[in-house]
Amino acid sequence: MNAAALSVLIVDDEQPARERLRRLVEELPGWAVAADCSNGAEALPLVGKLRPAIALLDIRMPGMTGIELARHLGSLEQPPAIVFTTAYDEYALQAFESQAVGYLLKPVRRERLEEALKHASRLSAPQLRGLATPEQPLAARAHVAVRVRDELKLIPVKDIRYFRADQKYVTVRHGQGEELIDESLRQLEEEFASEFVRIHRSLLVAVAHVASLERTPDGGYEIKLRGETEALPVSRRQIAELRRRLGGR
Amino acid sequence: MSRPGAAAKTSTRIEDGPAAIPVAPAAEPQRDEPRARAAPSSAVAAALDDFFIPDFCATRSVFVVVLIGELIALTLSLARPAANFLVELARISLFLQWLGLTSAALLCYARPQLARLSVPRASAWVFALLMINTALLSEAALWVGGSLGATGLTAALFPSEALPFLLRNEGICVLVAAMLLRYFYVTHEWQVHLRAEARSRIEALQARIRPHFLFNSLNTIAALTRSEPRRAEEAVEDLADLFRATLRDSHSPLRLKEELELTRIYQRIEELRLGERLKVRWDVAELPMRAFVPGLTVQPLLENAIYHGIEPLDRGGTVTVSGRVADGRVEIVVSNPVAPPRAESAERAGNRLALENIRQRLALAYDEAATLAIEQPDGEYRVTIRFPYRE
Repeated sequence: MNAAALSVLIVDDEQPARERLRRLVEELPGWAVAADCSNGAEALPLVGKLRPAIALLDIRMPGMTGIELARHLGSLEQPPAIVFTTAYDEYALQAFESQAVGYLLKPVRRERLEEALKHASRLSAPQLRGLATPEQPLAARAHVAVRVRDELKLIPVKDIRYFRADQKYVTVRHGQGEELIDESLRQLEEEFASEFVRIHRSLLVAVAHVASLERTPDGGYEIKLRGETEALPVSRRQIAELRRRLGGR
Repeated sequence: MSRPGAAAKTSTRIEDGPAAIPVAPAAEPQRDEPRARAAPSSAVAAALDDFFIPDFCATRSVFVVVLIGELIALTLSLARPAANFLVELARISLFLQWLGLTSAALLCYARPQLARLSVPRASAWVFALLMINTALLSEAALWVGGSLGATGLTAALFPSEALPFLLRNEGICVLVAAMLLRYFYVTHEWQVHLRAEARSRIEALQARIRPHFLFNSLNTIAALTRSEPRRAEEAVEDLADLFRATLRDSHSPLRLKEELELTRIYQRIEELRLGERLKVRWDVAELPMRAFVPGLTVQPLLENAIYHGIEPLDRGGTVTVSGRVADGRVEIVVSNPVAPPRAESAERAGNRLALENIRQRLALAYDEAATLAIEQPDGEYRVTIRFPYRE
């Protein structure tokens, strides 16, 4: 109807909830629904293609929570503004309030929706991290998002062999090749602490993919990964921790 | 170190509420510091709220202190039949009001410090403070009496014999302080008890009605109201039946037929919301429908299976409800596919809480004769309840 209408993407796993939000948004002058979909995996390509101004994300969804989806969307060059929707989530609400993150309670009121869409803003990484609470720690992502021209590609964390920090970027080595991501090795180490181990100042390796730990002729250590020919250097300081993590193998 | 920082932030949020937090997203980088500093003061505030000695800075407390002082003055003057009653009352009142108000000021000032101590230590300090205050005021009264000279009104209002006056005052001070401390302590304990009781009632109610279910159902109804008014109407009727059942006295048993009916009503509401994702297989033909069952034992099992088993699955799955009678006991089994593990500790705790609630309800009704067992055979989560067959 309106050429200048701002577009909204709706992501919710429940069909009636999507239907109602769609109707409410379409009834608001100046807003249009770009698309709706039922989970994060469907949402990512849609965002790349349709470039919605705002994404309305349900929090509790199968596969990928709304919060993980928001973290992936945040790695886009021009991410949409985010508004979360939830039926009831007492812990999350405190976090939203404190991080000044937009949210809507279901059933959503027309006026509240209009207000939230008007004031919706893009979320910063610290804001998203602030959404973790003692009761609901920010779960480690199941995927790492990589930007390939303005499309997001998801790499399952299980496929990742290692992260290597270069000057500005971090290289992700996975089963199908290498990609660059714009995240810090320190934060990755913290997030994936249960599956990855730091072996060097600039290397974070998946414990499950380590094939062997060997001594080098000059008295140092290196590891080999399954399916990789390249050996990775292990720094002296990390050797004890690496042994502990490989323990029993 | 983002995550530990975030955790520290959220742990303080409980006391100081959203109002104390800067809202502008631009303030992001500086946010951690003022919050970290705000935390100790809010923790002290919580300790103060929970302290048994009331806040003597409040106007109401000052008024009560004046009133108590006057009542003690009346009691003491009535106990001295020899003296002129009114003069005696004036004399004692003058002294006691000074004593009461200065003591209140002392306690008002010392309360934040006292709140950090244990109850016996805080009480000892209160005794000490009040006795020192009494001694000082008694000395002051003696000094004023002495300097004004023992004539007319001053002779009536101020004491002249030093030591007996001081000792009597200290004695009265100790007795009154002991009574008041005991009174404050008992009232405080009673309030704590009342608060705990109210909280446990709410928790019990919430265990029976999962808020998540309530608001999601209302949302579904709101969506259906325009697109499918008939189904919306039915959903409202179903929700009403379900809530009537949850609000009824939980101790009165139901026939199994009614309980299963409620469970089916619950299933209908969830089907509207989850659509194709939810399938429930009923295998209950062998169950004796006339058997008694404590209210809301089967429905929460299905609710749990849907919330933890079906909802986290993209494609959904099938919940199986089956039952039979074995060895004079009714056996009902609810099983669901296990969702891929996610680090949602709060939800797992919620699951334990819900099952614990059912276990307690069974124990209340049947003691040892009822059991609730949880098994996880490959890819399945299975809860079995067994309770005596009674008609």
